Amino acid sequence: MKRAGWYLIAGAAAGFAGIIGFHGSGTAAPAALGQPKPGSAGAAAAPSAPDRTTGPAARAGASGPVRTATGKVEQYGYGELSVTVTARGNQITGVSVPLLRTAEPYSQQLAQQVIPMLRAEVLAAHGAQIHGVSGATYTSVAYAQSIQSALDKLHIK
Amino acid sequence: MGFDSVVAPRSRQGRKRQPARAEPQRPRPALARAGLMLAGAGLGAVTALAITDETLAELRAPGGAATFLGSLTGLVGMYLALLMVLMVSRIPAIERVLGQDGLLRWHRWLAPWPISLLLAHALFITIGYAQAARTGLAHQVAVLLTRYPDVLIATVGLGIMCTIGVLSIHAIRRRLRRETWWLVHLYMYLALALSFAHVLALGPSFVGHPLTQIVWSVAWAATAGLVLCYRFGLPVVRSVRHRLVVHEVRQEGPGVVSVICSGRRLDKLAVTGGQFFFWRFLTRSMWWQAHPYTMSALPQPPYVRLTVKAVGDHSAAVAKLRPGTRIVIEGPYGAFTRFAQLRPQVLLMAAGIGVTALRSLLEDLPRNSAPVVVLRGARPEDLVLRREVAELVRYRNGRLHELVGTREQAPLDERSLQRLVPDLHRRDLYVCGPEGFVTSIVEVAARLGLPSEAIHHEAYAL
Repeated sequence: MKRAGWYLIAGAAAGFAGIIGFHGSGTAAPAALGQPKPGSAGAAAAPSAPDRTTGPAARAGASGPVRTATGKVEQYGYGELSVTVTARGNQITGVSVPLLRTAEPYSQQLAQQVIPMLRAEVLAAHGAQIHGVSGATYTSVAYAQSIQSALDKLHIK
Repeated sequence: MGFDSVVAPRSRQGRKRQPARAEPQRPRPALARAGLMLAGAGLGAVTALAITDETLAELRAPGGAATFLGSLTGLVGMYLALLMVLMVSRIPAIERVLGQDGLLRWHRWLAPWPISLLLAHALFITIGYAQAARTGLAHQVAVLLTRYPDVLIATVGLGIMCTIGVLSIHAIRRRLRRETWWLVHLYMYLALALSFAHVLALGPSFVGHPLTQIVWSVAWAATAGLVLCYRFGLPVVRSVRHRLVVHEVRQEGPGVVSVICSGRRLDKLAVTGGQFFFWRFLTRSMWWQAHPYTMSALPQPPYVRLTVKAVGDHSAAVAKLRPGTRIVIEGPYGAFTRFAQLRPQVLLMAAGIGVTALRSLLEDLPRNSAPVVVLRGARPEDLVLRREVAELVRYRNGRLHELVGTREQAPLDERSLQRLVPDLHRRDLYVCGPEGFVTSIVEVAARLGLPSEAIHHEAYAL
């Protein structure tokens, strides 16, 4: 068939331009809403919103200055993360993850699902002694270790 | 009951078709062009998809570059694999334009790409993930295989693909029997099916993007549908409809037999001269393989005829077929037909068993079309069907040249071809026969200034 190559190239250019165009018009909306793109690999995403946790903060015994410490960056099988702990006195009032880097989108997605559960466990347990989330053992362990190092910095037992 | 006793009166009477005879569909190059553009659009789209999904920050992160290359090679590789399947899915509109051997040539030409891209994909992804997680490669391989969904089966699929790829390397393929290789080759479908799931579960362009998930799945499902429909469904429907059985096997020359088959409603079988079918003879030893053989005459309801030279196990077994053996057909295929003709007249050349396609093509040419026909054979008895060809040529006021002897005794070079066919510049060349013969004639014709669009060839690979 004559000039087959040109038809292929013309089609490829059209397909390429089409997707780029569609992408350009389509991503504007979510970006404006300020949502992190799901499945973004390797990016230092902020999966959990800055914690202004109200519930546990109102707990009795929470007195004194508000202190914050960030735990060690923990490597786990699928990436790395670190956890920041906010405390008033000896009471943990907030937990957030300022750094989460994963190798690929699937792990990112898993981590984003798991981190809120882990945070809830920490707030309930008032410390790093958490059960973890089954199916996300590595992430749970890394999370707990980073929390522990943050608590050590804050001298909270 | 002889086939030429059916053929002869008809060719004397003229090319009067039975009124109800199905007219073959004309090839429409515009459809093939649209198909090509669509294929190109898909390639552009998947490349763009891989790129748009990547941000600069992701690229700079540890392992980002390798991961990006991994997803790009993976996407493009899977897409090319999809195209390869489409190329052999026998879509009639495309097949009529490009022909079975044209499509197979492209298929063969493209084959190394998806396999190497997918292999590169596996390597890049492993390296990228290992860099991101700061672990060793071996550990990362273990993590990928055990912890990630569907990666293990996709790896099995890749293994199958690579094995088939290695077996397809010319030096190795030569040593395998055609049937063995062909059966092994079918495992490619399994390999692709195994790889499908991990793309949707893990691909950066698919995780969290329902639209791309749907488009990708629909494209693959449609391809599977086309394969099932045209490689399986249509042949079954045609075979059941026409119910062909072996009627008679007749010796035509040394090692050459004609199989005359009878069937029902053959006037409804739209076939153009020069086309071929895949024939599956339902005997205990042959039912599992289908082989391409050309019809050596247009159907004469209730009969069709194929002529076969014994070169392999299958073609040798054809000579021993018993009358009554049932036949499953797949086809007709091939663009080696009158529809390909661009110039006012034709030169038809055939060597050995290539005469079969020439014979039925000749039958399709109008009266007074004055074809020049060249038949070549090592010995006089190798010019099978020569009496039928001579009669058809005479009826069309053409000329027939029979060249018998070795290459030295009866050479076919520029000079001799020009002497045989002084008006070559007004003719299309159709050449058919063993690969060496076809290649050398095509070269000679090109040197004589025949444009490639006016050269139509079909080589019989053994």
